[in-house]
Amino acid sequence: MKIRKLLRILHRDFGYFIVGMTIVYGLSGIFLNHRHDFNPDYKIFITDFHVDLQQNSKLTEQEVIKALESLERKVVFKKHYINNQGFLKIFIENGEIVINPETGGGTMHYLQKRPIIFGMNKLHKASIGSLWKWVSDVMGVILIFVAVSGLFILKGKRGLNRWGWWLVILGIVVPLFFALVYI
Amino acid sequence: MKNLALVSLFAFLLISCGGQKKQQQNTDSQPETEIVVLTVDDLYENAADMVDKEVIVKGTVMHVCKQGGGRCFLMGSNEEINIRVEAGEKIGAFNQEQMGSELEIVGIFKEVKTEADAHNPAGEHGEGDDHEHDAEMDEAHRIIAESEEEAEVVYFIEGLKAKEL
Repeated sequence: MKIRKLLRILHRDFGYFIVGMTIVYGLSGIFLNHRHDFNPDYKIFITDFHVDLQQNSKLTEQEVIKALESLERKVVFKKHYINNQGFLKIFIENGEIVINPETGGGTMHYLQKRPIIFGMNKLHKASIGSLWKWVSDVMGVILIFVAVSGLFILKGKRGLNRWGWWLVILGIVVPLFFALVYI
Repeated sequence: MKNLALVSLFAFLLISCGGQKKQQQNTDSQPETEIVVLTVDDLYENAADMVDKEVIVKGTVMHVCKQGGGRCFLMGSNEEINIRVEAGEKIGAFNQEQMGSELEIVGIFKEVKTEADAHNPAGEHGEGDDHEHDAEMDEAHRIIAESEEEAEVVYFIEGLKAKEL
């Protein structure tokens, strides 16, 4: 079998195989690029509110839960304590609340996982244990193979020798320019 | 060759599912020998003797680093008594949802000796001013930074296993 034919077959089949992971890397890559603009994993809802708290230095769990019932968003209580600034800090499921016990004014940070993209980001960052790290390495190698094998599939004026060569150079020059100028 | 894609996909799914089960078993399994679970306060009381030893510590998660959850801080009897836990490769990452949860961490208790061991919460991950800030995160960073500054020796835990209690 000719090398070019073998490459075409491997490129085709590995190409099909790697579509899913390429989408994961690409999509989560865009979200992670914008991590300074927004949290790529969670939507964060910040709400200011006012509750009536009993003027009591040692609020019980029941008193805190009762105070939380008046909030618009239904929350599940986890734990509370008075922090070193004298504010009441409450951990809830998917967030946290800080209340000034003197005024009753508070702020809630409520987190909501970004569906699908949360998992994609985890896969991208390989932060789900050792096994995925190795599987992800294999995926990376396949992705490189698909890219490199693609260079040698076409012959003629649209092949690597002419048209393809200039596009390959362009694709290298763009990141290289940014690397040289900004790094 | 035509079936390569299907065969590869099937093999990948098999490996992934097997791995997940194994990981769950690792997390759930309990050593049969008697184990001493320390609080964060206990850990600091015996800190000098514990350095470079495997410890099991439990505490409330007071902060999880927002950029990827690479580390969390377990709180002792108050906010100022806290210990940094690095998720490392074994744990992977902590989730923001774990804030306020009781975690039991198995890990190696370490002393911060070099810049690489240290953690600068105010400039987390080397981020500059363009980093997304919120008041709660800044407050958590301030408490952590203050408690680290006040301590003669700064300690942290290299996490090996994490269990939510």
